Amino acid sequence: MPVMRRSKIRRRLLVMLVTGIGGMAAAAISFASAVYDAANPVAVPTIGKGQTVDTGRWRVTINDAHMSSTPPTGTKPFEPKRFLLVDLELDNRSMASSNAFMNLITIKDEGAPLQPKPTYYLARDKWIASAINPNMPEKLIAVWEWPADRPEPETLSLSIGKQIYKPRDNLYGAPNWFGDGEAAVVALAVAQAAEPTEQ
Amino acid sequence: MISALRTLLLCALAIAMLYAMRESMPGYGDITAPIAVRGAVGERVETQDFAFGAASVHLARAVKVESFGRVKDYSTSGVWLIIEGAAVAKTETMTLMSAEWQAGNGVRYALSQRFSTVSGYLPTERLEPGLPRPVLLAFELPETAVDKGTLLVARSLVMPLAEELSIALGDRKPTEIKPSVTISRSAGGAPWTLAAR
Repeated sequence: MPVMRRSKIRRRLLVMLVTGIGGMAAAAISFASAVYDAANPVAVPTIGKGQTVDTGRWRVTINDAHMSSTPPTGTKPFEPKRFLLVDLELDNRSMASSNAFMNLITIKDEGAPLQPKPTYYLARDKWIASAINPNMPEKLIAVWEWPADRPEPETLSLSIGKQIYKPRDNLYGAPNWFGDGEAAVVALAVAQAAEPTEQ
Repeated sequence: MISALRTLLLCALAIAMLYAMRESMPGYGDITAPIAVRGAVGERVETQDFAFGAASVHLARAVKVESFGRVKDYSTSGVWLIIEGAAVAKTETMTLMSAEWQAGNGVRYALSQRFSTVSGYLPTERLEPGLPRPVLLAFELPETAVDKGTLLVARSLVMPLAEELSIALGDRKPTEIKPSVTISRSAGGAPWTLAAR
């Protein structure tokens, strides 16, 4: 009888030891891989203009950039202003109309971020763009109001963000899209404004 | 030996059961999805809070809007789907904020926001209980999304477990795509008139 009991205790100890070591090993591996990933970030590709970035939800093509004194509507502002106009093409690959692209394209710059956010216009009829529909690629013009105290840029780096779809998020278990870092950086030259014509 | 095998089998069974339960559990989105109320174009469809009826459906390549003597052109790379209908609130003053077009393959197209200045446009129209109002809806769609599509109308997209109308186009599909449709203000009756060209 005492022999039986001792073997049972031993067995239990063995099980506890194995599960304990296994659990700790799993935790250590997961922590180490997280640390390793943070220490060695995957390099974001830098591409030129005219190349399509597949971010999963969106296909983004940055076509051109130029400075102008008039917004795409053609109405010259009452006070002289400078605008940075970026021609781009967007294709929504998700299941629903979305305007999430407005937060995904940002200027990568050492200085303070440009405020306010860009206004997006539809290239075909110069109307302010709202949500982009799936299966309907659109040409858009993103317009940043360029601050008066900054020199006009000669080159521009645009950071294209990407989003990940979670069928169940961590809070409610609801399906949604979440930010997932950068997909690519687009570097291109900025054409200077044509001589302003009197209107 | 036999007992070890049994333990292993039980483990595998437990894992399979847990996996099946995990896969079959409806997500938060399914649990709180709007409740569909089905109907068809040409009939009045009722929910507890409001009623809506789609009367006529038009297709156009371009839309012109006349307002205050100016004509604005709205182009599209697909087609414009314009729906004329009427809506009435039942219990309280409300606005129907959400309208979507669901294509046959499940892709959802949001109501175009480009006509928010047209009087009678659905999300800008305040509905009073018991007073039916004519309403206008416009969608920008690829041509293939028109067939087998359904119109979804709800008070809001974010209200869980609210009722949502699901109105099938059925055989009321417009036969031709008009090159251009003009929306202009009208004097009486409906706040707009549609003229095809």
